[in-house]
Amino acid sequence: MRREVVVAVAGNPNTGKTTFINALAGTRLRVGNWPGVTVEKKEARLKFDGTEVRLVDLPGTYSLSPFSTEEIIARDFLVKEKPDVVLNVVDATNLERNLYLTFQILETGRPLVLVLNMYDEARKRGLRIDLEKLERLLGVPVVPTVAVKGEGVREALETAISKVRDPEPSISSPRYGEEVERAISELENWLLEKGTPALGKYPARWLAIKLLEGDHEMMREAGLEELPGLSGVEHLRSAHGDPAEILAETRYAMAAGIVRECVTRKEIRPDLSEKLDRIFLNRYLGLPVFLVVMWLIFKMAFDLSAPFVDWLDTLVAGPLNETLAWALRLVLAPEWFQSLVLDGVLAGMGTVAVFLPVIFAMMFLITFLEGSGYLARAAFVMDRAMHLVGLHGKSFIPLLLGFGCNVPAIYATRVLESRRDRLLTALLAPLMSCGARLPVYVVFAGAFFGARAGTVIWSLYLVGITAALLLGSIFQRLLLRGESSFFVMELPPYRLPGVKYLLIHTWEKTRHFVVKAGTYILAISVVVWLLLHLPPQARTLEESYLGRASKAVAPVFAPLGFGNWEAAASLITGFLAKEVVVSTMGEIYGLGEETGGLSSEGFPGESWRKALLELPRAFLEAGHNLIAGIFPVSLKPEEAEASLLASIRKAFDPLSAYAFMVFVLLYMPCMVVLAAFYAEFRSLRLVVLMVSSHFLLAYTLSLFLYQVGKFLAYGG
Amino acid sequence: MRLSEVNPGTRVRILKLGRQDPALKKRLLDMGVLSGEPVTVERVAPLGDPLEIRIRGYRLSLRKEEAAEITVEVLS
Repeated sequence: MRREVVVAVAGNPNTGKTTFINALAGTRLRVGNWPGVTVEKKEARLKFDGTEVRLVDLPGTYSLSPFSTEEIIARDFLVKEKPDVVLNVVDATNLERNLYLTFQILETGRPLVLVLNMYDEARKRGLRIDLEKLERLLGVPVVPTVAVKGEGVREALETAISKVRDPEPSISSPRYGEEVERAISELENWLLEKGTPALGKYPARWLAIKLLEGDHEMMREAGLEELPGLSGVEHLRSAHGDPAEILAETRYAMAAGIVRECVTRKEIRPDLSEKLDRIFLNRYLGLPVFLVVMWLIFKMAFDLSAPFVDWLDTLVAGPLNETLAWALRLVLAPEWFQSLVLDGVLAGMGTVAVFLPVIFAMMFLITFLEGSGYLARAAFVMDRAMHLVGLHGKSFIPLLLGFGCNVPAIYATRVLESRRDRLLTALLAPLMSCGARLPVYVVFAGAFFGARAGTVIWSLYLVGITAALLLGSIFQRLLLRGESSFFVMELPPYRLPGVKYLLIHTWEKTRHFVVKAGTYILAISVVVWLLLHLPPQARTLEESYLGRASKAVAPVFAPLGFGNWEAAASLITGFLAKEVVVSTMGEIYGLGEETGGLSSEGFPGESWRKALLELPRAFLEAGHNLIAGIFPVSLKPEEAEASLLASIRKAFDPLSAYAFMVFVLLYMPCMVVLAAFYAEFRSLRLVVLMVSSHFLLAYTLSLFLYQVGKFLAYGG
Repeated sequence: MRLSEVNPGTRVRILKLGRQDPALKKRLLDMGVLSGEPVTVERVAPLGDPLEIRIRGYRLSLRKEEAAEITVEVLS
């Protein structure tokens, strides 16, 4: 029996590589992370004409340099795991730049099949590619494909497998001209003679090329401070300058040569992308167009999903809850156990469920933006403003989404390429005041500021943005000093992403949220339930562990103007979701009693029927939301009860109420955000950093506001 | 003249890359921004930065500060 064949899929970003792999693997694709990093790893096991194939998608890169995580992953896989064959997906309309990576993959000594994707587009643009000549000049098989239509993808895999089966595989290693080759072979011989542990891990020629390029990772691995003074290397340097530059020039010159030989342009047709960009990137129209697109994205992500969020919410709280309660009574489960299942586990699952429509809608839109090519344009338009505060043009999108909900904002940071930009944006996005904070503002601003409540609420949004600017500049100075970030970015042609591609991607990301973040959310919900219901003899919230803890920590908040235990308790439960701050206060002040307990003894068939009938209405409402209304409808505050307002007026004054609102805005991201953040960055240290920095900032800011306000009002 | 100072619509040739941060320089090399290469500056973003250039038949954007180290000559 032959072992399985490992096929790596490599290529530049924007070449349709993902579509290609989707077309091959479909639902068998498994998405995970590369060990230790946050870069997505896609893998599939297939049986192809009796051969077991393991398909591994390498991150899309332009090169195999050691400067980005993606590049390091791709090259480590090629040189360390040594896949049996590499399917190199290239964009047929942009062959020259794509071949640059092809040469670097060939340098690793792996057998390669060139997948000439978007072949139809190239023909449409009037490009004629001589496939036979291309095969001959590169020394590898070439397969034209149209991955969106699934054309040629099977042939590509077939060719790859037959290449592996070939008893005498021809490995074509690019030759880089006399002077460069002399330096490479000198270095290779020197390495072989001297001997270094790095030789056991990497192919000798590849290692020599990387050392010549001054690759810092390989220099370290080979234990070298600088290159040995070999005559060929010295000659190259003195005659032509930086060897890294010479190698890049040589590879590009060879790519240009091949393109000159194999590609003819029959006629020059105006490019649709260029025409579109005359509007989208226009000096005067670029910004308005961008704002309209962003407004549409925001509106669609939140308004379209809102009816489904409400529907899932009622489904969980209604029929699901009642059915589970009915089943638990049927098996005579003790009351505490019923409560644990219903208020702990089911409530936690409900939290995960209500986020699904938002994340699905948002991920769909982001994937569309990315696949269509507009995302790069959005970054181009916004970069100046975002760069002023040390962020990347693309950071704007996660931050904007943060105003709707911080959770999809965390996931949206995936559009950023460098880890530094991704992390910084994710650390700041939860400071954007989300929809769930609004009910808190409505109650407090309504209770104290009357007609000026609107202005007060607006000011809180500004406080959030200011806090992000402040924290952003601190992080950059203290934490991310060494990590470079730049904006050298391709503006890919506009393309209409395929529906299959969009759905697979959106589904993958939504599933990731359920499986990864969902687990943590469930665990936290159960812990909070325990805190609320233990010790067993506790009757009220005040007697529970949570109530006792609130009393213990309440004095900490006294300098901020709200040292009562009720405020502390609602802040603790506010960790579940910010709007819970209000409902906890309602509960403590003896309002909003549980509405449950009235359900009938039998199976709740009626409420299932009602809930299922509500689903078509949710679709209707989503459609309605899409068409009607200029302002996001999801920000509809609920009416607060007068008695709650009265109790709050007794416990707070206007100044402490404002300090409290600022604190609620900033003190800590909710548990769903933290779960998503941990699922994305896989670092407890970073979670601690986020929580502590936000808390510290909130405390300082509220303290400052309250103390200065008090001084001005009473002291001055 | 520096690439960052070139007016949109002008065709230039890269003379020298200059002294960038090593990661930035490698990125430029990888993207095909090499000396001797002809480049057209297509446009400047609405807010005045970054630039869009056409090089090797594709379009690339980079910030002015990243283009400032790159020396170019205007092609007639």
